[in-house]
Amino acid sequence: MRKKINFIMALLFMSFFCTITMVLADEPNKKSQQNWSQNSAYLVPTGRMEVGLFQSMRYGLLENMELSSHPLVFVLMPNLSLKWSHKSFGGFTFSTRHSIYYPSPLLRNLAREGIGGIISPEFEIPDMVSLYNEALLSKIITKHHLLTGKLGIAFAKKFSELDERTTIDLPIVFPRLAVFYYDYSFRFGFDVQGKLFKRWEYLMDADLFYIPKSDENIAFEHKGLVVWTKSPRFQLCFGYKLSYCEYPFGTQWHLLLPLFDLQWAWQLK
Amino acid sequence: MNRLSKKNFWAVTSFILFIFISSCEPLVTQFEDVEESIKYSAKHTQTPPTVVDTIKVMTWNIRFGAGRLPWFGDSCGDRVILSEDEVLINLRGIAEMITQVKPDILFLQEIDVQSKRSAYIDQVQWLLNHTYFNYGSYASMWKAQIVPSDGLGKIDTGNAVLSRWKIIKAERIQLPLRGDQDALTKYFYLRRNILKTKIDLPGVDSFYALDIHSSAFSTDDTKQKQLIRFKEELDKLDAAGSYFVAGGDLNEIPPGSDSTDFCDEDKCSGESFHGSHDDPKHKEGSNFTHEITWLQDLYDTYQSAVPLDEYLINQPDYFTHTTDWNGPWNRKLDYLFTNTKWIVGSHSTHQDIVDFSDHVAVSAKWEVPK
Repeated sequence: MRKKINFIMALLFMSFFCTITMVLADEPNKKSQQNWSQNSAYLVPTGRMEVGLFQSMRYGLLENMELSSHPLVFVLMPNLSLKWSHKSFGGFTFSTRHSIYYPSPLLRNLAREGIGGIISPEFEIPDMVSLYNEALLSKIITKHHLLTGKLGIAFAKKFSELDERTTIDLPIVFPRLAVFYYDYSFRFGFDVQGKLFKRWEYLMDADLFYIPKSDENIAFEHKGLVVWTKSPRFQLCFGYKLSYCEYPFGTQWHLLLPLFDLQWAWQLK
Repeated sequence: MNRLSKKNFWAVTSFILFIFISSCEPLVTQFEDVEESIKYSAKHTQTPPTVVDTIKVMTWNIRFGAGRLPWFGDSCGDRVILSEDEVLINLRGIAEMITQVKPDILFLQEIDVQSKRSAYIDQVQWLLNHTYFNYGSYASMWKAQIVPSDGLGKIDTGNAVLSRWKIIKAERIQLPLRGDQDALTKYFYLRRNILKTKIDLPGVDSFYALDIHSSAFSTDDTKQKQLIRFKEELDKLDAAGSYFVAGGDLNEIPPGSDSTDFCDEDKCSGESFHGSHDDPKHKEGSNFTHEITWLQDLYDTYQSAVPLDEYLINQPDYFTHTTDWNGPWNRKLDYLFTNTKWIVGSHSTHQDIVDFSDHVAVSAKWEVPK
């Protein structure tokens, strides 16, 4: 019964995602001239580069296309995302984000003897990649507040067996790696962001991870950030993250403090 | 765990420390000097005897259900994370052996309740549900969200007391931490304890069962301090007129033992000890030469299930441990004591059970005072 429900949910989600993508693809949106817009359907403006200490590096490639990557982990986990702006409708701005991750070198590096061994070295880490596809819908809800809804699906392909005992049973990490053990997973969520006063802004988000084939199939994360924007070229943010996750040993809540980031931007062309 | 003491944690743990700062679950659980321990009861309880003249007491270090698998931390092995099947095979063997010997009170050491290395099986609950015991109590000696070394991951392991009769009160008493480690290693390392339980034994007003697992690898006087603390606790009960049975894995050999240095027996491939250029000269936890009198006070004050003179006459018959899977048991580390008396000749050192641990269970019958 549960398998059936999971299958139906997966079908519904994929249908929704594919339909909207096909209908609205390839239409640039007029709201794309937004800075610091990684949590919305807006794209970074063409030629602008944004980079943070911990957040991904983003570059506005075209008016309707943005490239991003996590530079800090790129050497050990090659990754690339493409955010694609589509036709706006009903006051909504619509984009899709398509990401590819190759975590095998990073995980192999963590599978070691002695200090730093997060995964037991007795296990082989296969070559594997994941594709994450996400739809983002943003709408200005009042003059200074933006609501963004997110729906995503991740698929993974392994090129040999991955032992289930290699899981890293930690918040943030466990639900994101679950796709490699269970082939596909879903992610639903929303962000609200807006102005507090003067140069101060806020961001609140909530994300639900759903891994249909796993016994530990639910994870929830919530983040709260306060952002101080000095100029279009620099901003600072700090806040917290709350995590609830089902692990192989049971469920746990974690409050992660402090979240902190510095971000810079340049106009490259 | 030896390896943990030799290396610096900073680089790897910084990320993990960040994750757990102000978290609902601490990265490593630290304990009060004395705190209530965790109580368990079997899924289906059985009526225990209401009139008892003697009870059988047993102690066993069950090596977290790893049996004789070559685990990296204690047997020069390369295994770290066991499969559920591997652990269950050993737990079934342990349960079967317990059912054969049929102790009324059981002291367990190295029992896991929520550890990645043993497939997150709550072994206290599992053994309660698969034997005739009704009640249990558990005190953790190592509880961490993640041990960032060798892929060990989440761990919660410690001591347990299982009883047919109700456990009225159960305390975890903290033992001194190792004094030969830097602060960061000590933070991640084991926190040894005494599990002190008061048991509702029919016909006895004040009856206690105490389970200890003292330091295995300290190279200073940590273990001596722990043994002194253990005896202090026994002395307090004795002075108060209470009866007790006490025991566990003391990680110490009896006074007068013929062999006191096991570095050669315990060394892994590529290791060398006792040479003029060897540093350290001895393998951690394998040289008891300077510790040979540390149990004398316990033997002098209380009754050992295996009397010292009996042990000294034929030592190999009472050995309870080896790190060499292909060799015989080669040292005695596991003990039972009381402040009253054991039934003469009732003790057994169960050396025939070799598959389920690197320790031998020791049992004896205790005479219930009238």
